[in-house]
Amino acid sequence: MIVWEPEVLARIRHLTLKARHAVEGVLQGAHRSRALGPAVEFVDFKEYSPGDPLRDLDWRVLARSDRLVVRRYQAESDLPATLLLDASADMATGVGSLGAGRPRPPLDGSKFGYALCLTATLAWYLQLRNEPVGLTVLGGEGLPWRVLPPRAGRRHLSRILAVLASVSPAGRAGLGKGLRAAAERQRRSSLLVLVSDLMEETETWAPALQALGQRRTDLRVLQLWDRGELQLRYPRSARFFSPEGGPAQPLDPVAARPAFLQVVAQWQQEVRRAVQAWRGIHLRVPTDRPLAEPLWRLLCAGRTAARRSSGSPP
Amino acid sequence: MSFAFLSAAALAMAVLALGPILAHLARQTPVERQPFGAMMLLLRLTRRLRRRRRLRDLLLLLLRVALVLAVVLLAGRPELRLPDEEPEVGGSGRVVVVLDNSMSMSQRAGSASGSGSLLARARERAAELVRSLPEGSFAGAVVTAGPAGGAERLLPLMTRERAQVARALERTDASWQGTDLKGALRQARLLLVGAPGEVVVFSDEAGLNPVRATEAELARLLEQGAEVLPRPILATEPRNATISEVVYGDGVEGGSLLVSVVGYGDVGEVAVTITLPDDSQMTAFAQPAPCPGPPEVGQEAPVCEPLLLRFTVPPEVPGGVGKAKLQDGALSSDDATWFHLPRVGASRVLVVDGDPGPTPIRSEVYFLERALAPWGRLGTGVTPEVTAPAGIAQLDPQRHRVVFLANVADPRPMADRLSAFVRQGGGLVIAAGDNITPERYNAALSQLLPSSLRRVRNLVALDAQGGVPLKPPGQGATSELFRPFSRQGRAAFSQVYQRRLLTLEPYLDDEEVRTLLSLDNGLPFLVERRVGRGRVLLLAGSVDLAWGNMPLQAVFLPFVQRLVGWLGGESGGATARFDGLVGELVEVPIPSAEIVPRVEGPTGEPVAAETVAGQLRFRPRVPGAYTLSLPGAPPLAWVAVNTPPAESDVRRHAALASVERALDPSRLMRRVGLGAPLLGLALALLLLQALLAVPWRKR
Repeated sequence: MIVWEPEVLARIRHLTLKARHAVEGVLQGAHRSRALGPAVEFVDFKEYSPGDPLRDLDWRVLARSDRLVVRRYQAESDLPATLLLDASADMATGVGSLGAGRPRPPLDGSKFGYALCLTATLAWYLQLRNEPVGLTVLGGEGLPWRVLPPRAGRRHLSRILAVLASVSPAGRAGLGKGLRAAAERQRRSSLLVLVSDLMEETETWAPALQALGQRRTDLRVLQLWDRGELQLRYPRSARFFSPEGGPAQPLDPVAARPAFLQVVAQWQQEVRRAVQAWRGIHLRVPTDRPLAEPLWRLLCAGRTAARRSSGSPP
Repeated sequence: MSFAFLSAAALAMAVLALGPILAHLARQTPVERQPFGAMMLLLRLTRRLRRRRRLRDLLLLLLRVALVLAVVLLAGRPELRLPDEEPEVGGSGRVVVVLDNSMSMSQRAGSASGSGSLLARARERAAELVRSLPEGSFAGAVVTAGPAGGAERLLPLMTRERAQVARALERTDASWQGTDLKGALRQARLLLVGAPGEVVVFSDEAGLNPVRATEAELARLLEQGAEVLPRPILATEPRNATISEVVYGDGVEGGSLLVSVVGYGDVGEVAVTITLPDDSQMTAFAQPAPCPGPPEVGQEAPVCEPLLLRFTVPPEVPGGVGKAKLQDGALSSDDATWFHLPRVGASRVLVVDGDPGPTPIRSEVYFLERALAPWGRLGTGVTPEVTAPAGIAQLDPQRHRVVFLANVADPRPMADRLSAFVRQGGGLVIAAGDNITPERYNAALSQLLPSSLRRVRNLVALDAQGGVPLKPPGQGATSELFRPFSRQGRAAFSQVYQRRLLTLEPYLDDEEVRTLLSLDNGLPFLVERRVGRGRVLLLAGSVDLAWGNMPLQAVFLPFVQRLVGWLGGESGGATARFDGLVGELVEVPIPSAEIVPRVEGPTGEPVAAETVAGQLRFRPRVPGAYTLSLPGAPPLAWVAVNTPPAESDVRRHAALASVERALDPSRLMRRVGLGAPLLGLALALLLLQALLAVPWRKR
């Protein structure tokens, strides 16, 4: 039995409000099934080949030209979506946060709070579309369930919001292991959204994308981008340390900034190449922007990808 | 070169160098801790920057420490003391110029054939220096090789007439003598009469000893407050070849001359020409290897191995002084070397045949002639002249070197002549035989015989075979007579046996009489006596087959040849031979105070000489062959005068400045303040560290 803390309940309300507010501004739309199934909407013609259902023969074309042509249709179907949330200890940092060590960083201004809000907004939006939505939390602690399989309905959404409200960032995310586990659970032609700062070496998680690509999973990676952190906007020298552990590094941030920006740019190229290698969509999400903006970009990117997969011009 | 601080106490501030080090260490550990989510990227950055940053930090640290040290050194007022090769002259107002006019200064200054001598250059610079002295300065001049045979003053006292001193210096001629630098410094000290002043030395500082020998005089000069200022006059490429020794010895024909050629520096190939007393010449070419060295101060000079050239002397050469000359084109003064050559040649052995035998084997002369001239009268230096006892009148001390009395029955008619012959340096061999009568010999030749003759004794029965063998001379035999015989050659003497022997009255070996060979039973066989400048050898056996088998033994021929060569060549001579060096006193003993021989120089000019305590003394000025003679008589003595061998080594073994600095390290040094360079260095370090630090901050 789960006992909800008052803080968790407050966060659920807060998340709900934020998600609803964000979704209201987003354009309503429909997903199109990637599979060509029973006709609902005509797509194109093709030459008949043995095995094709005879009911799809276009009798008019046969009568006029004496050719066997089959009509093809696109079926509308649900799109099960899984949200992967990175709850590692590193997510608790960022210039907007109030520092590491707090069990639950604030929802406003911190990297982890932004990730929670974004995940809740996505879940809310998909539930509104009556799409099945699931949640998997990588790393973190204090959560009642780590994996919620995709389902539709408000009760399932409540579970998701409860999990998001109760999780605290802790430990390492293990992106590679988490993506491989998600790929094993994933149905063909489903949606997978990863919300993370991707602060793990690319070679540890990029190979796991292969399994997702082979299952034709629609992969969307929302990389949280804390400008202050990635531009080393710290006022004075300090001993920098990772909340995930490891030795501290003395650093003069002003002196090291130019070289650090080069490292960040190089790392971004690596991430982009790794995601796009398996037809994934990589979106950089600055944590100082409104929630609706990444949601809108995500949906737009989804349409563009759908047009590309169906052969439509962009 | 040395280094000193004028304010050494300021160096204590070097402790400040710890400042940058401590700052560097403290800077590495900021106190504040900052959680950071992109630690993965920071680690990447650290890996990339680690090497560059460490290098930069280390460089910055070093620059800053060096900067602090430079400032501290600056505060210590450092100065460098460097050798001053040409200090200023004339400050004291009393200057003595020492001009080296020894033989080595005659070498060419440059490698070009037209370049002048070192002495010419030294004269020019010395005169120029004297003329440039401040008005009113006192000047004096000393040369290292004066006419009296050592260092001398050109002017008796110091004078204000600088032009006079300069002219005296310019008129100084080169000498053939050695470098008396020590004496020159002493003369300079005497000129300064104990007062401070400056002694300027113009010298090539050549040779092993001249400079090192000045230490004591230098110390005295420095003690009296004088300054010794060397002005080395050095050749661009010091090199010289010289003949260090000429030795006459045995060999085919008339013997051989062994010429030692020494090269100082790379002298290349030189032609060596030998001129014998009869003006005949022989030439050979030599390329001596450069002598090692010169050695470091305080070390022994390495041994210089000469190149040996062997010249064969013709079969007949008159005795006298020969000349060996080479041409090296560097230092011509020592190119010629004079050496003694004994009379060499045919007709030097007069054999007096006392018993012409009826058959060859009964004749001593038969075997002697063949032993003396085995190839006839050609191809050997010995040609015997055989004569009967009455022919002793032919004996000529200038022509004959050795007389053989072979079984002569009565020596009385020839006793006086033989005695004079031997006393003048001739060699006499008395060989025994059946004709010898001991009483006559004892009576006539008692002044020549090593011991009185006793009787002829049979060593074995007349019909017995063999006889008493000779005891071969051992390796320890001291006589030069047996030097050419090897161990096997000496053992061959044991093949000689005697059946009869002329015995002697007992005697003791001493400096005058020596037993050279004896029989196995101890009886003397060959006995030597020195008489005057000559020698007498008594052979107690016969030189035919009547008393023994010696003429038929293998050792007979080389023994007789050696006997004649030794008696006539190395061991004596009609004329006394002496050696001398240019500038040094030559002393020749004269037999009587009433006799005052005349000394003639190489070109026949008379040479001043004096007689002191039975010795004739003179000081040769030039090298060459000198003769001492009485009017109308053959030369009494020859003197071969050569240049000092030390002067031939034209290399600079030690610098006068080094010897002076060893005595007083503060001498001949100039001081250079290091303040300005250090200030420049400090500013440069400051700028460098700023350049290294600031751009990094801006990035």
